[in-house]
Amino acid sequence: MALLEISGLSKHFGGLVAIHELNLDVFDGEILGLIGPNGSGKTTLFNLVTGFHKPTSGRVKFKGEDVTGLRPDQLARRGIVRTFQALTLFRQSTVFDNVFNAFHMHYKQPGWKAFLHTPSVSREEDTFKQRAMEILDVTGLTAQKDKLAGSLSSGYCKLLAIAISLATNPKLLLLDEPVTTLSPDKVEMVMEVVTRVRSAGTTVVTIEHNMKAIMDYCDRIVVLAHGRKIAEGLPREIAKNERVVEAYLGSMD
Amino acid sequence: MRSMTKWRIPLSKPRLIALSVIGVALAILPLVVESPYILHLAIMALIYAALGMTFSMLFSTGLISLGCAAFYAVGAYTSALLVMKLGLSFWLALPLATMITGVIALGIGSVIVRYPGAPFVLVTLVLAVVTQQTAGQVELFGGWGGIMDIPSPSIGALQFTGKIPYYYLLLFLFGMIVLVFQALYSSRIGRAWKSIQLSDPLAKAVGINAYRYRVSAFTIASSAAGLMGSFYAHYFQTITPDITGGWVSIYIQLYAVLGGIGFYILGPALGASIMVFVPEFLRLVEEFEPVVTGILLIVLIVFFPGGILGTLQKRPRFRLANLSDRIRKIRRWISTGAL
Amino acid sequence: MSLVTAAQALLNGLLMGMIYVIVVLGLDLIVRGTRIINFAHGQVYMLGAYSFYFAYAIWHLNFWLALVVGAVAAMILGALSYIGIFSFVQRRFIAGGTMSFRLLTSAMSSVGLMMILQQGTLIAFGTGEMGIYSPFPQFIALGAVRLPAERLVAFGIGLLTCLGLYLFMFKTKLGKATRAVCFNAEVSALQGINTSQVYLLSFVVGCGLAGIAGGIAATIFSVTPTMGTHIIFMAMLVLVAGGLQTYKGIIVGGIILGQFLSFGYQLFGGLSYLYSFCLVFLIIVFRPGGLFGEVYD
Repeated sequence: MALLEISGLSKHFGGLVAIHELNLDVFDGEILGLIGPNGSGKTTLFNLVTGFHKPTSGRVKFKGEDVTGLRPDQLARRGIVRTFQALTLFRQSTVFDNVFNAFHMHYKQPGWKAFLHTPSVSREEDTFKQRAMEILDVTGLTAQKDKLAGSLSSGYCKLLAIAISLATNPKLLLLDEPVTTLSPDKVEMVMEVVTRVRSAGTTVVTIEHNMKAIMDYCDRIVVLAHGRKIAEGLPREIAKNERVVEAYLGSMD
Repeated sequence: MRSMTKWRIPLSKPRLIALSVIGVALAILPLVVESPYILHLAIMALIYAALGMTFSMLFSTGLISLGCAAFYAVGAYTSALLVMKLGLSFWLALPLATMITGVIALGIGSVIVRYPGAPFVLVTLVLAVVTQQTAGQVELFGGWGGIMDIPSPSIGALQFTGKIPYYYLLLFLFGMIVLVFQALYSSRIGRAWKSIQLSDPLAKAVGINAYRYRVSAFTIASSAAGLMGSFYAHYFQTITPDITGGWVSIYIQLYAVLGGIGFYILGPALGASIMVFVPEFLRLVEEFEPVVTGILLIVLIVFFPGGILGTLQKRPRFRLANLSDRIRKIRRWISTGAL
Repeated sequence: MSLVTAAQALLNGLLMGMIYVIVVLGLDLIVRGTRIINFAHGQVYMLGAYSFYFAYAIWHLNFWLALVVGAVAAMILGALSYIGIFSFVQRRFIAGGTMSFRLLTSAMSSVGLMMILQQGTLIAFGTGEMGIYSPFPQFIALGAVRLPAERLVAFGIGLLTCLGLYLFMFKTKLGKATRAVCFNAEVSALQGINTSQVYLLSFVVGCGLAGIAGGIAATIFSVTPTMGTHIIFMAMLVLVAGGLQTYKGIIVGGIILGQFLSFGYQLFGGLSYLYSFCLVFLIIVFRPGGLFGEVYD
């Protein structure tokens, strides 16, 4: 049984078909690359899987459970977490707070105790503060921790987005263009974090345009075009696949 | 990390001192000031400050509500009716009216909070207007003349007379509201609110149920407004539909923005104090008041969107640095005998 | 309710609905184009009505010319407000800040404008109601029913306005540019569209629509100082009931609300707002985005 099973998924926006009858499996522990020309539906697929859009038809199953149409926060609590393409961060908060706030759903102490600021709540908060520091360390953001997220360069923003998602302790991490526009050394840094995250037990699906990153780090690749899956397989195979080349060339008109 | 075994007060020492000073000043005010008129203004300032804080609480979740006045009226009318028609004691009516307001707010809030930004503002304004019209047209609520001769509270045989007992009661209620609000803001609930305000999609993506947190904020804030309404009814002893409606809601928003929209407690307190006391010194012709307020709003938004506290926050280091620089320059000037 | 009364109520409802629709279309255009919620929109409508009244009843201009005067006055007011106030507010948008902060700034500045205009109108014109003697006092007979010509004329003007708007938005270059900016401002700027011009245009046209609606209203209803606040209230209900970002929603919402008020007039007494709100509340309980709109979750 695959970790994530997508069957017959479709999304229509009025007359526009963004995703058409998509079937896709994501297996536990893999790094799956999702590529395709602009407008092929990659981000829409992410939106559907993470609850930001409701599918027109089809099913999504996670760990065997039907999670179609659930809210984003419900899905996050089940372990499906995403990053965003546009630099969606808590821009008016510090880097540290960005990550610290992302622990929100892990609090075990009840709300009323939080209101009363009991010592047990303080202890729990301290635990999460510590873990936030650890995450900042892993993603190389410790030096930036007191800067406002809105003042970061785009490279650090992308790292922060990943750091935030790590705080949620995801089982399935969906990265939306994590290294696009980054310099090669930053790309390597990010992908290294991703690999380490996978070794720790998280499955990763990443949308990317940076072909080198995809080829180097992904176990498998899925290619979308016009809302349909046109190819699926190992990186070597995909690179040689004629339909894929055509799809990209065709989209350049 | 040190392990905490004691309760933590999220306040730094200088702030604690400043707040204590203000607290003491408020506490001894009636003993120092003779004029009942000034006391009345102080009472109204406290009420409006609290109402401004309800606006800010909703703003902290990214919602702009022009409906705070509606729940203020609900609290006022409910309390008045509970006492006058059902014969309840004020001390029972106060918490009861607050709770009833809260339940109504919960019901309405659960439905309207789903609306993003702009329509939500509209719907809440509609709420305020509808409340006003309903209060004015329905017999039970006394029509446009309102309800009069609302009895004053009493403890045992002692009736509340004059302004002083009301003032201290209000100070207590106000203090409670401030404490509760601050406790919420500094807890993970307040942090969740802030996350929702800063980025709704990201907050949801990290597992925060934005809807539920917004509804909670709406309910809590509206209950506080209802509490103030109930107090007002028994203080002023007359309530009319004019205590709510479009204009009032706009003024409430103004208190928060004038003081500083980023300061959820101090902002409205400052804004309300200014708005209540200053017009007295200006003594404008009543006709022009909305015009002046309108101009004030526009100037505020265009030039000082952070409000008073917000603008100060960006400047003070500047000023202080300038000042010490200047002093140094003058000293040097003097010592070189340039004089 | 007799057939005659029903037919009249129907026509009345359609008329009120249409006025709401035109006003809301104007408001919607402004919001979509400039991302500013103009709470003073009702006062613009009121200015259109008063201008028409003055042009027609006091200066004795031609009926049609007076309508144009109403629309133009509204557009001038729109241009002034935009240039004087909202363009500055927009610059703050670009500077950044959370969505709610941007909303707050646009709401507050337009509310300030609303207060100035509303009180200004009261001061200038007093609290009295005014009405015109229609140049179309005849009745047109449709079978057994006699409909007032003035209302049919008003309806016709409204339809022409909607048609004109449609033609403008979909057939002219400027209109298409406006739609592009509504859809995505940054991309449009990149494609060479002069966004500041389009912003001003959206604002002015939006106000113009309100002005025309005000003129139409002045021809058949009376001109009062409270019509501004009344219409913005109704516009808000229409938007919420019909759904955002949907023309279908605006039209259907406007018609429903118009009919509701027209037929229910007797029942409501003075509680029209409460009943209207209940109607809309019911709608959004069952359809959270309004009839045709989509909502957050």
